[in-house]
Amino acid sequence: MSAVETNKVLKFDVLVIGGGIAGGESALNLADVGYKVLLVEKELSIGGKMILLSKVFPTLDCAACITTPKVSEIARHPNITIFTGAETKKITKKGEHHFEAVVLQKPRYVHVDDCTGCQLCEEACPVSVPDQYQYDLVGRKAAYIPFSIASPRAAAIDIENCTLCGACERACPTQCIDFTQTEEELLIKVKSVIVATGFNLFDPLKIPRYGFGEYRNVITSMQMERQLAPTRPFNTILRPGDGKMPDNIAYVLCTGSRDKSVGNPICSQICCMYSIKQAQLLMGALPMADITIYYLHIRAFGKGFNEFYAQAQDMGVEFMKGKVGKITEKENGNLLLRYEDIEAGVVKEAEHDMVVLSVGVLPNLGISDVFDNERLEMDPFRFVAQSDMLASPAKTSIEGVFVSGTASGPMDIPDSILSGGAASVETTSYLRRARV
Amino acid sequence: MKKKIGVYVCHCGGNISDYVDVEKVRQAVENDEGVFLSKTTMFACADSNQKEMVDDIEKEKLDGVVVASCSPKLHLLTFRAVTERAGLNKYNYVHANIREQVSWAHSDNKPGATDKAIQIVKAAIAKVRHAESLEPIKVKATNAVAVIGAGVAGMRAAIELAEAGSEVFLIEREFFVGGRVAQWDDLCITEETGKELITRLYDEVMKHKHVTLFTGAEVVENTGSVGNFTMKVKITPRHFKLQCTEGSLQKAIDACPVEVPDEFNFNITTRKAIYHNYPSEYPQLPAIDMKNCTRCGECEKVCNNIDFSQKTEYLNLKTGAILLATGFDPYEPPKGEFGYGEIDNVVTFPQFKRIVHYCDDKLIYKGKEIKNIAYIYCVGSRQLDGENKYCSRYCCTANIHTAITVKKKYKGIHNFHFNRGIRTYGKAEVWYDESSRLGDIYLQSFEHAPPVIEKIGNQTIVKINDVLTTDKELEVVADLVVLVTGMVPRKDNAIGNLLKVPKGRDKFFNEIHMKLRPVETVIDGVTIAGASQGPKNIMESMNSSLAAATKSFSLVNAGELALEPTVAEVNKETCEWCGKCDEACPYNAFEKVEMDGKFIAKVNAAVCKGCGMCLPVCPANALDLIGLTDVDMESMIDALIPQV
Amino acid sequence: MAGGKVNSSSKILVFSTEKISDPAIDMAGLLKLHYPPTIYTISVPCSSSIKPRWILHAFEQGFDGVFIAADGTDCPYGESCTEKTGQIVNQTMEVMKEQGIDPARLKMAAICSVCSEPFVKHVKSFTEYLNKSEN
Repeated sequence: MSAVETNKVLKFDVLVIGGGIAGGESALNLADVGYKVLLVEKELSIGGKMILLSKVFPTLDCAACITTPKVSEIARHPNITIFTGAETKKITKKGEHHFEAVVLQKPRYVHVDDCTGCQLCEEACPVSVPDQYQYDLVGRKAAYIPFSIASPRAAAIDIENCTLCGACERACPTQCIDFTQTEEELLIKVKSVIVATGFNLFDPLKIPRYGFGEYRNVITSMQMERQLAPTRPFNTILRPGDGKMPDNIAYVLCTGSRDKSVGNPICSQICCMYSIKQAQLLMGALPMADITIYYLHIRAFGKGFNEFYAQAQDMGVEFMKGKVGKITEKENGNLLLRYEDIEAGVVKEAEHDMVVLSVGVLPNLGISDVFDNERLEMDPFRFVAQSDMLASPAKTSIEGVFVSGTASGPMDIPDSILSGGAASVETTSYLRRARV
Repeated sequence: MKKKIGVYVCHCGGNISDYVDVEKVRQAVENDEGVFLSKTTMFACADSNQKEMVDDIEKEKLDGVVVASCSPKLHLLTFRAVTERAGLNKYNYVHANIREQVSWAHSDNKPGATDKAIQIVKAAIAKVRHAESLEPIKVKATNAVAVIGAGVAGMRAAIELAEAGSEVFLIEREFFVGGRVAQWDDLCITEETGKELITRLYDEVMKHKHVTLFTGAEVVENTGSVGNFTMKVKITPRHFKLQCTEGSLQKAIDACPVEVPDEFNFNITTRKAIYHNYPSEYPQLPAIDMKNCTRCGECEKVCNNIDFSQKTEYLNLKTGAILLATGFDPYEPPKGEFGYGEIDNVVTFPQFKRIVHYCDDKLIYKGKEIKNIAYIYCVGSRQLDGENKYCSRYCCTANIHTAITVKKKYKGIHNFHFNRGIRTYGKAEVWYDESSRLGDIYLQSFEHAPPVIEKIGNQTIVKINDVLTTDKELEVVADLVVLVTGMVPRKDNAIGNLLKVPKGRDKFFNEIHMKLRPVETVIDGVTIAGASQGPKNIMESMNSSLAAATKSFSLVNAGELALEPTVAEVNKETCEWCGKCDEACPYNAFEKVEMDGKFIAKVNAAVCKGCGMCLPVCPANALDLIGLTDVDMESMIDALIPQV
Repeated sequence: MAGGKVNSSSKILVFSTEKISDPAIDMAGLLKLHYPPTIYTISVPCSSSIKPRWILHAFEQGFDGVFIAADGTDCPYGESCTEKTGQIVNQTMEVMKEQGIDPARLKMAAICSVCSEPFVKHVKSFTEYLNKSEN
């Protein structure tokens, strides 16, 4: 979206902050009934976390396959304008149905409409840095396309790492690279706001006893998700330490969830199921591998979940009711897990050649600071507080501001879609009241 | 016949190309008749490829397009939209499924999969060669929605639909609104009680001039289709003209000699044939249950607003969409399951909620004060032998919350939770934590060894082999055993059958797509909300009802719908009216008309659903389905057989 | 799996239905429930829309068997579907007999929208039957 106008006030009916699956659903619903929507996404692509997943539980649909049509529908909708790589800095409520927002459009240094996604700039670029969209499993260039199914699928220049050598500019067949782009502040007038800022994953560096960051064969579940995705970095499952195919993988559930010592007492609602899903996919990808899931309780509560859990048990995934205390590394890169076997009532040790930490869901902080003159209340866990949780789950402490998806708490994809739907119909009613 | 067909074979990032040699497929069809260009692509559905397809169609003036990728259920509409954007009528697009029905189904046989993919793509090309441009059939959509069920989900959806600008008919089968939540007192999450929530929603429903509420009302017939449903609604009279005057209602109730179990209190109390759902009686007008009334006339003697002359009425309602919010039934354990119905102090969780509601200072059941409570979890859910394999989602949290309430409300309560792994997901974790802090005891059974309940003398004893204390056999003497029962689909599924809404493996209503389309069904215009789709707590039900409201609203709001033009077509030359098609048609889409001195059949395109039931019955073979004619079908069959 | 066997396997045309049996066949793929790749599917709106001449055409063109994955009682278009599909099958079998085609080469079974396993069982045993009867 390069149609960003400078020094001009842009007007829309609704500002949706966050272009993940929940924000996208809200935006689509509103656009379908004729409202003009501005979708502001801080990443370089819309689609949120879902577009990066492998398959979804319990249907085992390929996540990319079911997300991409939704994403292209959003991208193509005549009533939706999308800013990627943009940040909502400030929102002021001037009155009912009258909000003013300041949106910072960061330069991409590429004219998106002219970019064909040919990747010649990537080939030319001499800089290599960890790829954040592959969760640092592999490298990428400073001139890069975020990932193969990104929307927009256009290159961007990572200016922080760029050496300004100019190789990409020379390689680009359409001359779409433009180093003169600068940051732009845009003033946006809207009648209503939807907060769909999603969640953050727990950073396991905060639990040093698990050795993440130190032992290379300890990875996060999102890294495993990438290894299993169709747009995966390797063509198979590898342990990062030595590139060997693992054959005895452990999952440590509740990493950063249900754990007051890291400040997060609640259950993340999705980790049990995504771990069970990954275990099933791993059994398909590595038929000889043993998979053990260390858990406290399996929260297989949604539609078809318990059946999916039973299916994993039947497939031979081992479920060990036990709390993992400490992980240590052996010389060959294998890992020793010290855990309490709850059923046996003793502390045991087990060796695995790869450990996946099933990291939890944390609030995406910062959104409350964006609201200027009215307070966007947070709940005790620092998710956006729902002011009428039972009757109007999308309502927040500010009238005219609604919450969609995991911004209000952990949820899985269908719950995010439902929440996105709820936010859109409440917004529709709110906007309708402006007309009468 | 097409001369410029574009064929795109998708890798699906490996989902297809790991098993099917997509380049070989492309090469095998590139010289097929009419094929102008053929390409392979990593993700056919990705924006970049869609863009490329649009460019190809525009630049090369393609007249037909085939994409060989995943199931058409996922992407038929995506690629039809691509052709449309490029200015090519979307019915010139044909989809070939080489993932679900080839690469995945034959991942054990790569050469076989590749051969099959080739034939399937050839068949799609054969079909697109004969494809014709078609225009959608436009029908007017009534801007009204029927919401079935006036529980929290139904009422909430009704309010929001009316707010958004639709006319709403809210149809409740019972005489009182509020569904299951009316039966709850304390709720989790907020301080609001069930009654307060119902009062709030009911007041809003009544205030809204665009919501019409019908109670004692049942849909008995439904005709028409998306945009234009006509529902026949049967309204059972309450036999009350007005509220009885002060005091006389109680006299009328007292006068009634009939006593039946009160379902509102889950049969732990009884009620009369003249009754109201105390304390959540909305509308605030009692009703007479004519199934049990003996017509003795005693009530009439004390209240003159009772009117036995009221008759059952039938109404016809016209709506554009239907939203089902018919809720759930609590699981009813059969006699003997954990002593239910046999041991006198075994109750279900819903019954327990009502007992707690009625007990103020002391928790008393059957005259005995309760101190030790044993809760048995997962009754009717996660069954090892029974049919209910699913987890009922709300029960762990609801029960733990209730146990905390009970502990705070009465003195000397000891809670023992016999569970199978507590599932207080999300923020509900704090209740589990709090109950543990309050000293509740959690005992977990092994999967194949549920707890056992025995009556020994006067004592009810619950025994368990406990996972958490390394398989120790433990016993608890319980004053009350609460079976934490789950949710099951409504026993009476008349409305589901009437609308032909499919059910899932768990027997709840089934959505079109579990992940991304959780409220829409395969029946166009019918959405499902709340616990009718699967177990949910109140907040989740609200989200789902609001999401369903969004989808229903966007259907009816436009005022016009575009329907598929792939309907039946009569060959005027060969048709000699015999009426067989008319007999076979489930929708009355046929009409007998006179043309050129003979009678022939005529299809009403707005009514025809394109099911094709008329096709094989025509003795003159004068019927075809547009888009699936004999020529289409036979050329596809020919293409599936490799030409040697 | 014996590689050679598959390619000589009998060719079966399956008529599936868009809303009911097609999802089940798709799900068979999703669950990697394998079946011979000589089974081809054409989907129609409803199993009672299949014209006998289509079935006969398939035999003429060289298909060894035709399998109708019928809607059964789940048909979204009407309760009479099973009966009507049955009539089509009977009628076609009569013609097959007249033309000297073994009527057992036409088979019908109701396949619900989650009946992936029954579908695979049916087509496997049908393939076995056809393979045997050819030899």
